[in-house]
Amino acid sequence: MEREGLLESLGERLRDAKEGKGSLVLVAGEAGAGKTSLVRAFVESLDGSTLVIQGACDPLSTPRPLSPLHDFAADPNSGLIGLTSEERSAIEMFGEVLDRLRNTIRPILVVIEDIHWADEGTLDFLRFIGRRIEDGKAVMVCTYRDDEVGPDHPLRSVLGQLVPLGSTHRVVVPPLSLAAVTKLASDHAFDPRELLQLTDGNAFFVTEIIASGEGLPHSVQEAVLSRVSRLDEKARRIVDAVSVAPRALEMAHAVTIADGGLDDIDAALSAGILLADGHRLRFRHELSRSAVEGALPPARRLGLHRTMLHILEEEGSVDLALQAHHAIHTDEADLSIQYAPAAARNASSRGAHKEAARFFEAALDHSDRIPDDDTAAMRVELANELGIVDRRPEALDQIDRAVEHYRSAGDELSLARTLIPDTGARWRFEDAARFRRGISEALGILERNEPSGDLARAYVTSAYQHMLARKGMPASVELAKARAAAAEAGTTDLTWMITMLEGTVALVLGDTDTGSRILQDVSREAAAKGHRDDETLALMMLGSGSGEVRRYDGAIPALEKGVEHGLAVDQDYLVAYCRSWLARIAFEQGRWDDAVNYAELVDRATAYRKGIAILTGVSALGRVRVRRGDPGGIGLLEEMVELSRSHELQHGWNTICGRAEYHWLTGNPQAGLDELAPAYQRALDTNSEWARGEIGFWMWRSGAIETAPDGAAEPFALQMAGDWEGAANRWSEIGCPYETALALADGPVKAKLESLAIFDSLGASPMGDRLRKVLRDLGVGGVPRGPTKETLANPRGLTNRQLEVLRLIVDGLDNTEIARELYVSKKTVEHHVSAIYSKLGVDSRTKAVNAALAVGVVVR
Amino acid sequence: MWVGIISPTFCVAGDPGRKGRDEMPRYIVEREFPKGLEIPTTPEGQKAMLGVVENNLTEQVTWVQSFVTDDHTKTFCVYDGPSPEAIRRAAGLSDLPVNRISEISILDPYFYVGAGA
Repeated sequence: MEREGLLESLGERLRDAKEGKGSLVLVAGEAGAGKTSLVRAFVESLDGSTLVIQGACDPLSTPRPLSPLHDFAADPNSGLIGLTSEERSAIEMFGEVLDRLRNTIRPILVVIEDIHWADEGTLDFLRFIGRRIEDGKAVMVCTYRDDEVGPDHPLRSVLGQLVPLGSTHRVVVPPLSLAAVTKLASDHAFDPRELLQLTDGNAFFVTEIIASGEGLPHSVQEAVLSRVSRLDEKARRIVDAVSVAPRALEMAHAVTIADGGLDDIDAALSAGILLADGHRLRFRHELSRSAVEGALPPARRLGLHRTMLHILEEEGSVDLALQAHHAIHTDEADLSIQYAPAAARNASSRGAHKEAARFFEAALDHSDRIPDDDTAAMRVELANELGIVDRRPEALDQIDRAVEHYRSAGDELSLARTLIPDTGARWRFEDAARFRRGISEALGILERNEPSGDLARAYVTSAYQHMLARKGMPASVELAKARAAAAEAGTTDLTWMITMLEGTVALVLGDTDTGSRILQDVSREAAAKGHRDDETLALMMLGSGSGEVRRYDGAIPALEKGVEHGLAVDQDYLVAYCRSWLARIAFEQGRWDDAVNYAELVDRATAYRKGIAILTGVSALGRVRVRRGDPGGIGLLEEMVELSRSHELQHGWNTICGRAEYHWLTGNPQAGLDELAPAYQRALDTNSEWARGEIGFWMWRSGAIETAPDGAAEPFALQMAGDWEGAANRWSEIGCPYETALALADGPVKAKLESLAIFDSLGASPMGDRLRKVLRDLGVGGVPRGPTKETLANPRGLTNRQLEVLRLIVDGLDNTEIARELYVSKKTVEHHVSAIYSKLGVDSRTKAVNAALAVGVVVR
Repeated sequence: MWVGIISPTFCVAGDPGRKGRDEMPRYIVEREFPKGLEIPTTPEGQKAMLGVVENNLTEQVTWVQSFVTDDHTKTFCVYDGPSPEAIRRAAGLSDLPVNRISEISILDPYFYVGAGA
């Protein structure tokens, strides 16, 4: 009733799916609104021609990772048996589900309930499928309590990414109207208006009150409990037992608890409080369950959890999270200690790091009953989880406590191991001083002993940090020591990493050709062995390292590959990182529209506004604005300068120089020196010629230094020495038109005119205006007035965006693919396509491609 | 003849420089037409104008009002939009030049009346 409209829209989605157009439907509503009833009614309305696969998320604070996927695997009709049983990565599991949804003859309806309780792994799954569900005959319906998903809720960012997609639809289940309440209460002695006012139209509350039949209660709990209180003690015990089982209680377990009293189970069923759902007992609604659980006397609650745990043990359950849940709720320290750590490790391996942290914390609550060594080891595990979920201060605290223990216990080896972070744990490198203290101590210990894998690892980690700080000599020295120690200890698993770091050091600190070659080799090696994480790491180093030294031909392919790979496996951070570098490179190459596009993609995608991807991408946008003379540039750059303080120099120097450039262009060159000067000192501390070059250049432009520092990158050094022509040529070779023009502007009139032409073609108004004034003051006549529309427009009057779309059409992409590529809606693409047809005077795609090639607008 | 499509006249009360962070920034876009801009008062002309409005929507850009010089070689156009880049893209869709973009807020000649002797 009243839900026909909603059922109809679900039906429409399924009809679309039958035509091969899949979708994700998000069913939102408050708790008790009737989302589950709606979905159930829909499922019941279907005939056998649709396959239904169902799963749900658990209302545990520490849910079973990937719970819905376990549900899918348990359903013999789903075609997904064995989905979760082998040791596979989460992404492989997601891929298998996606294949199932695509390779199907019958349309498939996937139902996942209560995604507001989804663990991290399940959230990744929703995002993965949600982004790809359009091609296929499947509809995925997910229900959630929208009133529980606040701004900090983990589901929020997933919704933010999925809702804008054309294949995602949102359905809201509203409260009941007066008419509906009246109809429901028609055979009962309730005043519909009073009922509506008390319940606010909450469907569950309304039906609960009507079923309880008595006077109006004050709350949902009261309504539920008044019904339950009418059961006799034995039936009540069953109901209580079901209330501590997060979702449902196996009938067999209920029978055990009932001590063979099947009548009692029947009593609870006939009173309408419990439902039999297949071979399980459950409450009609989660609200009833939590009402009953909340009313349990403590002793009874603890006893029931103990009983449940015992039952699970007896049948050899493999649901570690559920066992740990019950164990923790018995309040018995030994049980928590026994079950929680295993559940934590399992959660971690499934990508559910928040949950893993909570499980470790639950065990460590009883650290007084755990041997100190085990406690220390667990603290390190907890620290790793906390680091991953960005709770850095707490993570460092756990490390400190573990270190403290090992030091006072005199366990040198464990102490050393704890002080050597994994290179993947960036949070441990952020405080360079802290890192250096720790690694020194570790090296001190390990060097005293026989060469070992640990010693080699310590050298590698130390070298890694030197590389991050762009200190070439120390990095190379440590890497050589790492090789030697590994060889002596007979360890081979560090070889790849050592080579990769040698390549990176070479790339950014001097020998670019060697460095590129090494990184390409290790990346291929990792790919061949199927080590995707290593391959990704090598690509990121190659891409950003080459970008940093302006070797664009090496950088762009690596970064594009990184984006492609990241999109395929939903590694959002990798995608953002590579795109941010593509933004910076596009900026440096004068392709400012491309830079803006990449930067906007990064900005939109990253909910996490503190990372390197944001710093690099938004800085590129800021610098484009400054060079174009558009508003908002300096504001962005100031914001990014703040952010750069918690990152290494190479991530922030570009930003600081952009800010100095702004001040120079607006006639206030010294205003940039407050940030520039300290950065310059840091640059002199490193071996990076590009840092010394660019920062040095702006120091020079701001009047703070007279000559280039030693080891500054060639084009900058040449210009600072007065060789504007040499600098311009070098910049032209590298492929940076703006810098070329800046150098030419230092030359005589002829060079200045050439410079002006470049600035005009880039749309660099501030420099264009400045040069025009200089030329006027020099008495030069016939200076071009400014970029006219004719010089800026492309042949046939196609805009830049239209050119982009046309290129993709020539590449053979259809409108959906183009939309995805450019991250706009399909409607926008269709709009562009029709404008393109009209400008080219054609009426079909093939003709458009031919016209494009003929006119030379696009070159194959 | 230019016709302003929308002409809001409200002032930001209190501080002329303040903008709420949730509101879209407002820009003035200067455009130069060396050959002089002509928009005929015909159905084609109307279609072109409405086409501009529609193009702008795809970038969430709103054309507020424009001012044109006597010789039709320069216009000053007031726009609301999310960023200067959106303004540029919207201009690209309609094949309009962009010579300068400035972010603005409204300052009224009578704002300071009564603010103090």
